[in-house]
Amino acid sequence: MGDITILDALVISAIGFAIVFVVLIILMCIVMLMGLAADKGHVITDKFPKLNKLFKKKGAESSEETDAADITAEQPLAAGTCGELTLIRTEERDAAMIMAIVADATETPLNQLRFKRIERLDDVRDGAVKTAGNGAEVK
Amino acid sequence: MNFSLTSHLIGAAGSNVDYGETFEGLMQSTGFLNLDWGNVVMILIACFFLFLAIKFKFEPLLLVGIAFGMLLSNIPGPISDWIYHPELWVSESVAVNGVDYAKVLNEGGLIDILYIGVKTSVYPCLIFLGVGAMTDFEPLLSNPKSLILGAAAQFGIYVAFFLAVCFGFTGPEAASIGIVGGADGPTAIWLTKALAPDLLAAIAIAAYSYMALIPVIQPPIMRLMTTKKERAIVMKPTRKVTKQEKILFPIIIIIATCLFLPSVAPLLGCLMLGNLLRECGVTARLSDTAQNALMNIVTICLSVSVGATAHYTTFLTTKTLLIVVLGLVAFAFATVGGLGIGKIMCWATKGKINPLIGSAGVSAVPMAARVSNLEGLRAKPGNYLLMHAMGPNVAGVIGSAVAAGFFMAVFAPMV
Repeated sequence: MGDITILDALVISAIGFAIVFVVLIILMCIVMLMGLAADKGHVITDKFPKLNKLFKKKGAESSEETDAADITAEQPLAAGTCGELTLIRTEERDAAMIMAIVADATETPLNQLRFKRIERLDDVRDGAVKTAGNGAEVK
Repeated sequence: MNFSLTSHLIGAAGSNVDYGETFEGLMQSTGFLNLDWGNVVMILIACFFLFLAIKFKFEPLLLVGIAFGMLLSNIPGPISDWIYHPELWVSESVAVNGVDYAKVLNEGGLIDILYIGVKTSVYPCLIFLGVGAMTDFEPLLSNPKSLILGAAAQFGIYVAFFLAVCFGFTGPEAASIGIVGGADGPTAIWLTKALAPDLLAAIAIAAYSYMALIPVIQPPIMRLMTTKKERAIVMKPTRKVTKQEKILFPIIIIIATCLFLPSVAPLLGCLMLGNLLRECGVTARLSDTAQNALMNIVTICLSVSVGATAHYTTFLTTKTLLIVVLGLVAFAFATVGGLGIGKIMCWATKGKINPLIGSAGVSAVPMAARVSNLEGLRAKPGNYLLMHAMGPNVAGVIGSAVAAGFFMAVFAPMV
């Protein structure tokens, strides 16, 4: 039951591989469109002011949330914290990745490491390019 | 052994119990009188897998359970009456009439009851729910071209499928063997239980063993297929992804994928539901449960019940050896496929894409991405490719699920 010839196997392999590619390329196009819509969202809201009003309402709500977050931030630090980390031209996502890599490379748990400052170095210093791309200085 | 003298002596003292018969029954029920060479070999293999899992940390979360299940079902004697009954799942009457679940519940042992979750696809799908809740699709969303690399790395599945047919396996069996190249345990189990249940243990063990061996299998192929200059390419940081995109992604992907391949709905549906629980921001408790408690419970049930299916009567065959070899071929060609397209993309973008991230398209998350990162660091200190490699890595999960859905659509009617 279910016996197939070698030729069948070759054809099924080719079709199967092509289907995986087609489905994933379609998904890629969808994801690209989503990204485009997210990046160019302001163009749509400029063209349709009614939508803009809606977003403004939401914006007001989110500013309230930001205020609430600020209030939380002003509260004293929790017990056991390592204090504050200064990020200079570095996004939070990149900083989290760098801290994880340092913890992995030094085989030290994150709660035993203390990061004071993470600064992106992409400037030309002393005539030499220090780092490029996602290079970062960790202190 | 004759217990008549003992029985006679005790009987003479006024007892109504037939001790001779009792002792003889006890003796017969021990494993020693029922020992077969197959039991010994399987117990040794189970202990070897336990050693690998505990000492070398080879996928320990799954391999410990699989090896222990294997150990339990291969202990000789009537212990199998209390644990697992293969005839309830694989027999001629089952092939004709299907599994009799009433009989399983009435006569089945512990593993039989747990195995219902495998047979009905509940465990692999719940594992995918947890995987979805644990996966951050941001690297994929910020670099959608990763999906092409995730597709390319499924090459190994089809090479292994083709070779398996050449070696005399049936179509459904070959499809189950090929899916090992997807480096995705739950997907392999999901497909195999439907198409070739008698090969389930061998395929699950091959899949998880090779996933653990990715840091050994992939680097030589990566160095062989790429130049040091290519491996040293530093990729630019990708764009930031908005919260709305992260929420919309699972919803849109499940609609789009299931329109093309409805057979993939159980696996991808659970993966995307888990991801939506994570990203929507209002179901933190459910997301936490899917990632931790549920995932752990299902992992225990799945690994023990799959391991228990490795009874020596079905496991110690030449088929198992072939599956092990073809699994390795599948993994190697999956890496080749990913690297090949990675090199093409590197050339097309004039050196902006490091081809090493292509090998992460095999969906062993995050092991394959870590291997790409390590090879990048070896070629150039400070060249961190982890975030870039995570894109093809999670794309590989979708790719292998699509490949499994395709096989299911083609071969399920033949079984």
